[in-house]
Amino acid sequence: MEVKFAVKRYDPITNADKSTQTYTAEVDEGDMLLDALLQIRDEQDPTLAFRGSCRTGFCGDCTMTVNGKGAIACRTKVKKAWDGADDGAIELEPLKMSRQMKDLVYNAREFHWNKFRAVEPWVDPVQAPSDGEHLVPGGHDKRLTESMRCTQCGLCDQGCTVLVVDKTFVGPAALTKAYRVVADERDSRKRQRLDKLSLPRGMWDCTHCFEASEHCPKYIEPTDRIFDLHDMAIKAEAGPPKVVHHYKSFAASVKAHGWLDEGRLAIETEGYTNVKGLMKLLPFAVKAAVKGKRPMPYMLHKKRPGAEHIKKIFEKWESQG
Amino acid sequence: MTTNGRVKTKYAFYPGCVSKGGCPELYEAVMKVADKLGFELDHEALESAGCTGAGVLSKEVSDPINARTFAMAEAAGMEIMTICSTCQGIMTQAHHRLKDEEYRTMINRRFLAEEGLVYKGTTVIRHMLWAIIEDFGLDKLKEMVVRPLNGLPIAHFYGCYMKRPPELMVPAEFKKTRKTALEDVIEALGGKAVKTSGRGKCCGFPILTSNEDNSMSMLGDHTLDAKAKGVRAMVTPCPLCHLQLDGKQADAEAHKGEEIDMPIFHLPQLVGLALGFSAKEMNLQRHLVPTKPLEEEFGWAVEVKA
Repeated sequence: MEVKFAVKRYDPITNADKSTQTYTAEVDEGDMLLDALLQIRDEQDPTLAFRGSCRTGFCGDCTMTVNGKGAIACRTKVKKAWDGADDGAIELEPLKMSRQMKDLVYNAREFHWNKFRAVEPWVDPVQAPSDGEHLVPGGHDKRLTESMRCTQCGLCDQGCTVLVVDKTFVGPAALTKAYRVVADERDSRKRQRLDKLSLPRGMWDCTHCFEASEHCPKYIEPTDRIFDLHDMAIKAEAGPPKVVHHYKSFAASVKAHGWLDEGRLAIETEGYTNVKGLMKLLPFAVKAAVKGKRPMPYMLHKKRPGAEHIKKIFEKWESQG
Repeated sequence: MTTNGRVKTKYAFYPGCVSKGGCPELYEAVMKVADKLGFELDHEALESAGCTGAGVLSKEVSDPINARTFAMAEAAGMEIMTICSTCQGIMTQAHHRLKDEEYRTMINRRFLAEEGLVYKGTTVIRHMLWAIIEDFGLDKLKEMVVRPLNGLPIAHFYGCYMKRPPELMVPAEFKKTRKTALEDVIEALGGKAVKTSGRGKCCGFPILTSNEDNSMSMLGDHTLDAKAKGVRAMVTPCPLCHLQLDGKQADAEAHKGEEIDMPIFHLPQLVGLALGFSAKEMNLQRHLVPTKPLEEEFGWAVEVKA
């Protein structure tokens, strides 16, 4: 099968303008993209640069942008990419959120490693037992071991909708790594970590849009791990005050009435004594009121008929600790 | 109209908090459109159901609340119909976890038994968008259109929860009906669905509290991309996206330093206008971004009868 590849090229030595070079290769139906790239480098162009190691989808090294979407080259069939190519060639670029270093190689240090380092991804153990292995109390934790499967391939970051508008966001890859340490009961700095992760550009900038989970090739569900971090932070009241108020008000409203009181939520998120914050709400509140939208203040928020049962569910959950 | 003994378009209606709060125009539009389509919406089965948790409440407490809702619909022998993508997404995820028998039994015993409820794991939850396609049918919808959208370029804006996680929201058995559900409805109403870069992305609403700048950048980018592509209106099946795209658009204009002026419709409003309801009946006057130019161009001010 004859296939065309349009590769976005860049040579940092000549520093020539970035250009797209088209290669044509004869590949087998079952070939993966990485096979094709190796073939092109061997037979046509030894200067073509790309990353690739294990060739079996194990190491996460050969991620790149294929027809506009992040993909692992050694796990993507050429045929599938060719079928999905719009403009007569499979479009290949490096991952998008970082600087192109050479051809399909992106700057991983600038992007991943700095973000990973920021979450201090190592367990700082509490005193280990002197007479044996330091085991996780309670035994096997599925979510913890799953999060250890991360190969740092970068696809969750590539899919992240926040990183598109703000490259300083720590991102789902590093947050998943943070989860792996925070959720480890042997770690001694859980609270400090949650505080640090709650700083601007940290975990509260995540919109939990599930793009990260959709992109993860190892099914780690990074979005759910970020939800778990949020849960842990709210329980420990470690989030930024506004966020903690927001979560608490939401829960209080549902607990008391069975459903959400949006008016109360807006006010309590700012805080009753935060005059500046409350004033900021005013223009929208006035516009919404004039237009006949009516998030009612909680004094008028009616209880749902089954509210007492929902309250009981909350109480049972809270008693679990 | 019946499959396996079920009346296909009869549902235990779950309006969600926002259609009863910040987006009352949605609730009222749904009532009128559902009635016209002949949907039977049962308001009693889930009268005492709670909030889904919206991704804010911990799953540890929202799963039992949702299991309670599912148990009530199951006992009434009805599917649940939602009109909010966030409700739909959170419920679908809870529903998936509750397929695990051990987990479901624990939730039943610990949280639901006292009220005499038990969830057996069979409830189906369907967003109105899917119900229109899967239970009612696009051909029938087309037949009912009395005021086609005449090629109006409209951007479909799904939001996060109608599409992800894909294995739950667009599983293989529903790929045909759900992958391009919004586009298909727009086209059935006579509009032209325009692909924009933000169509499956987050609107920015969930981080309004924690990072307003990023939230406004997202909103601004999505609406401005639509504008650049010649889009005249956007449509969403999610009232939270509407609160953001319509309600906060003026803030995004200030943030971007550019005029956006992009009318945003709730899905049922767009359906209703094509079925002949007037702009007033669909409550377009409640939007913060004016829809007047479109109303005049398409004659939406008046009701059109078949």
